[in-house]
Amino acid sequence: MIVGDIKPLAEIVSAINEYKQVLVLGCGSCVTVCLSGGSKEAEQLSHELSKMRHYQGTPPKFEVDTIVRQCERDLVLEYQDIPFGTDAILSLACGAGVQTLADALDPLPVIPALNTTFLGASAKQGIWTEMCRGCGDCVLTFTGGICPVARCAKSLFNGPCGGSQNGSCEVGLDTPCAWAMIFLRLQRQNKLHLLEEIRTPKDWRPGGAAGPRKRVRVGLGEGSN
Amino acid sequence: MSYFRVNENCNGCLACVENCPASALSFSDRNGRRTLQHNMTKCARCGQCWRICPQEAIEFQYLLVGKWDEVVTLDLIHCQVCGVPLYSTAYGQKLARTLNSTGDALCPQHRQRQAASRWPEVGAGRTKLKLGDK
Repeated sequence: MIVGDIKPLAEIVSAINEYKQVLVLGCGSCVTVCLSGGSKEAEQLSHELSKMRHYQGTPPKFEVDTIVRQCERDLVLEYQDIPFGTDAILSLACGAGVQTLADALDPLPVIPALNTTFLGASAKQGIWTEMCRGCGDCVLTFTGGICPVARCAKSLFNGPCGGSQNGSCEVGLDTPCAWAMIFLRLQRQNKLHLLEEIRTPKDWRPGGAAGPRKRVRVGLGEGSN
Repeated sequence: MSYFRVNENCNGCLACVENCPASALSFSDRNGRRTLQHNMTKCARCGQCWRICPQEAIEFQYLLVGKWDEVVTLDLIHCQVCGVPLYSTAYGQKLARTLNSTGDALCPQHRQRQAASRWPEVGAGRTKLKLGDK
């Protein structure tokens, strides 16, 4: 899922204090599951932002709502009510949701309340870790299901660097060395030969190096033509 | 009542069934009648059915804002003094087993008052500790 973190309150306040009425809009998908941008967080943020002490003048008036997904333009346009008098939206969605709202509701300002941090997974309650960087050319088949792009601090492709010590990465003892994990898992799978195969250098164009990416699903909508 | 609802425009063309990416829609043809079926546990609420429906028959709003389902109903224990609901009887029994005692059923406010009333001397200022007292 997409994982996000709420921005520092002072940063949010400085972004909204020029407005009179702000809609605090939660998103009901990824950021709800990672407990940073769902309906509960939207209510809590609105409650906190309503306090006078954050402002030199009059605080904005806040309305609160949540939609199942902010990243789908047609759903937003059809089903999202914007209360009369709203002069800005404070979105608790990821960057994709914020931009979809901003495009759909142009010229209404849409302000992000979250920093979108990574594509990750939750292995333990309350902890999310980065798993994927959306590089567009997945190598997990050859690396035992452990991503060297996202989980190696240097995104190395040819084994560990000299900073790998006893299974830990040099950036910190609580960061496992991705290549140590890859080696040990392939060993358990009797697939160490995968590491000996020569591969062509990674093509980073599908990873965004060739500009913003677009996926067209053949046979559906725009892809039908 | 299903959260997936269609209006009178639905003609049973099955475009929604064919295009549901989560396989949450199905149908049965029985006794000369076609029934459209929806499985909420599979539904991703992605809106593909709503987009694809050539009849504009899908009332997607019911999948966005629905009513509450009742899950379980349990007996409650109330504050002995003011009567506000505190917790379920089953929770109270577990609490009593865990603490190995049964306390009075009191809300935080009345529990505080009960605790204060047990120390009238301190409250009235009649018992004062002196420096050096142990």
